[in-house]
Amino acid sequence: MGWFLVFIAAVSEIIGVIGLKMFSQNKTLKNMLIFVGGFGIAFALLYASFTYLQISVAYAVWIGIGTAGAVVVNMIFFGESKSRARIVSLFAIVIGVTGLKALS
Amino acid sequence: MNKAWVYVILTCLFEWMWIFGFNVATTWWHWAIVITIILIDFYFLSKACESLPTGTVYAIFAGVGTVGTALMDVFIFGGSFSVAKGLFMGLLVAGVVGLKLADNKNEEDDIQKGVA
Repeated sequence: MGWFLVFIAAVSEIIGVIGLKMFSQNKTLKNMLIFVGGFGIAFALLYASFTYLQISVAYAVWIGIGTAGAVVVNMIFFGESKSRARIVSLFAIVIGVTGLKALS
Repeated sequence: MNKAWVYVILTCLFEWMWIFGFNVATTWWHWAIVITIILIDFYFLSKACESLPTGTVYAIFAGVGTVGTALMDVFIFGGSFSVAKGLFMGLLVAGVVGLKLADNKNEEDDIQKGVA
């Protein structure tokens, strides 16, 4: 149950980032709701998962999947640059974020 | 410096404020302030994404927030520091700097294309 919640929370986070992208380009109420709602639901589900899992582990997995997923979705569906420098830098951030969260 | 990077810096500063707020808030009006800061923070986040790639901005947002949380744990809330934590922080900062440099390079390419 705990891992299921973390997974759905990560998916909500990615939806929130898609909302962020759409809202930044077009400031409509619908886009704002996807943006704020996606992150709101993500946090709520993540907090719910703490009942079943160790906080640092749940947080690390959530932020790792969410950040990597956000980057990949923007590259595939919104045509953001796939340059090697960018991919290496983003990979460093995802590893850094996940590792740091796992340790705290 | 590109104006969008000013919004990146602002969104990261406000993010640190609400992370700190999460750690110290105890009553309803504390939480009201924290939520207000989060909403302002999200506004700056969306402004930064207007002219920078969302993947770049969001990865920096997540990275800077995580480093900030770890540093606050150590220096304000009495957590412990370890070499491994330092290494992951170093990797994160390198990634953020790398993204900034990659963005500058794209701008230069655009300018050259514009001239040609």
